[in-house]
Amino acid sequence: MTSTQQTQRLDTVGSRPRRYSPSSDLRLALLFIVPAVVLVAILMYYPMGRAFQESLYTTPKTSWLSVDPSQVYVGLEHYTNLVNDDVFKQVLGNSLKWTVTVVLFQNLIGLAAAVLLDQKLPGRGIMRALVLLPWVLPGVVNAILWRFMYDPQLGLINSLLIGAGITADKTPWLAQPSTALWALIVAAIWKGFPFSTVMYLAALQGVDHEQLEAAHIDGANGAQRFRHITIPAISGIIRLNLLLTTIWTFNYFDLIWVTTRGGPLKSTHIFPTIIYNTGFGEFGNFGKAAAYGVIAVLVLLVFAVLYLRELRRSEVL
Amino acid sequence: MATMAIYRRRRRMLHHGILIALQLLLVIIVMLPFLWMFSVSIKPANEPFSIPPRLWPENPTLDNYESALYPEFGRYFLNSVIVSVLTMILSISVGLLAAYGFGRFNFPGLRALLIAIILAQMFPIATMIIPLYKIMNSLGLINTYAALVLAYLTLTLPVSIWMLRGFIRNIPPDLEEAAMVDGCTRLQAFWRLVVPLARPGIAATAVWIAVVTWQEFLFALAFTTTRDMRTISVGMSDFQGQFGIRYGELMASSVMVSVPIIVLFFFLQRYFVAGLTAGATKG
Repeated sequence: MTSTQQTQRLDTVGSRPRRYSPSSDLRLALLFIVPAVVLVAILMYYPMGRAFQESLYTTPKTSWLSVDPSQVYVGLEHYTNLVNDDVFKQVLGNSLKWTVTVVLFQNLIGLAAAVLLDQKLPGRGIMRALVLLPWVLPGVVNAILWRFMYDPQLGLINSLLIGAGITADKTPWLAQPSTALWALIVAAIWKGFPFSTVMYLAALQGVDHEQLEAAHIDGANGAQRFRHITIPAISGIIRLNLLLTTIWTFNYFDLIWVTTRGGPLKSTHIFPTIIYNTGFGEFGNFGKAAAYGVIAVLVLLVFAVLYLRELRRSEVL
Repeated sequence: MATMAIYRRRRRMLHHGILIALQLLLVIIVMLPFLWMFSVSIKPANEPFSIPPRLWPENPTLDNYESALYPEFGRYFLNSVIVSVLTMILSISVGLLAAYGFGRFNFPGLRALLIAIILAQMFPIATMIIPLYKIMNSLGLINTYAALVLAYLTLTLPVSIWMLRGFIRNIPPDLEEAAMVDGCTRLQAFWRLVVPLARPGIAATAVWIAVVTWQEFLFALAFTTTRDMRTISVGMSDFQGQFGIRYGELMASSVMVSVPIIVLFFFLQRYFVAGLTAGATKG
């Protein structure tokens, strides 16, 4: 029986079923969503509002742990201070470098690996399982592992590079400002690309094989088919993935905090680490930290809106 | 003609060879750090690190595991399990209800609420952590499981709703409608029909929550100050302070922290991949 027939049958049943009354339906719908909405409102929107408010106040250092600290209203002072702050500029630059590079390479490598694992090769099943391992590895373990790999004396990276004759000295990768951020970017890409691979692998299953076949017969080579058929077919997933990984990468904390705490010379501080350091570190400056936080939200809001638009475009929202 | 065929076959073999070589390269890139972690964890402390590195120590030993397993380790581990499981139960039950509400009913206001929830998922933890800290502090929840579970809901609840909604939308509504004609209430139909059918989605969401909560660091670092309440990830970073560069012990504890989540993940992996894509692709 098709669903239209069924609906017709329902309509002819003597008393109309409850679900046809919109008002009781609305009440029922609310019943289902109320717990989630209340939790999200209290645990996410309320704190977000408080963060905005907090950024307009300054809290005397002595009372940062007390329940109701005597806060002083300072207006936009934290923001105007930040604009002239060299550390802020550095954090902004680091965040940009960090996010753009990690997202770009995570997705490029992720896509390449997905295409590779989509081929009919021996050991494909086990490979697909293994490739996700870095993503499952707990973040702190990943951080400790990479700190170790970059250890100038004992680390794997230096012994491989020296062993292969590429470098002669024991480079202190995480201890010099010129290399620390890039070294962490590599670690973040290694941990993050498997997620993109899985998403792209799933997207590739949806590519029209007949179309690929037809293009092949018409003489299009592999690169052309990839460029003109595969890429357009998965472009929605690519955009979603780019936005999602941008948001996650921008919010990275554990890897940087555990390895360098933002150092050396603040060369690896990005928004989350500077916020934590400003708010909970030695200065305990909640107001300034909140101002950093609000700026982070405003940056992310752009990506969030794009993400929502993309969801709507792919008809899942 | 014949030479053409040979040429083509050669080209195909070459093509095949390159692909296999690339795949091997991928395996090496992914697995090398893991092998290194494991090999150092079973390397005796007195065996030097060599150049070029060796992947299997001369005299493998479990000593590092023994010395890494000091009493706090069990406590951290237990805390992480408790917090992860509580978060999972809460996030999935609240999320499942909401997913059903958002997946099955269609009112203009509902859509706005769903968008608000997806938007909340993008909030940086770092921004919320200070106000949340103050709230938890004023409620006296610092150093309790409750603080961590509530904080972890901010990480998991929006994603749970989104993932589960993807699954529920793939369950045909005919079944519930038929059941309701037969006298079931909407709630009964939800409980007896939708929940069992959404089981793969629940499994996928549970894996996601386990992976996220098991490794969460920022909230755990800020909301727990006593050793008793540390979770395994904060505990790990404490170990780093204590062990310094005694990498044998560090790697041994790294292996012990990672194995449970990796094993869990391997058992439930197929659900997880389905769940990840259910929300992102058209159902």
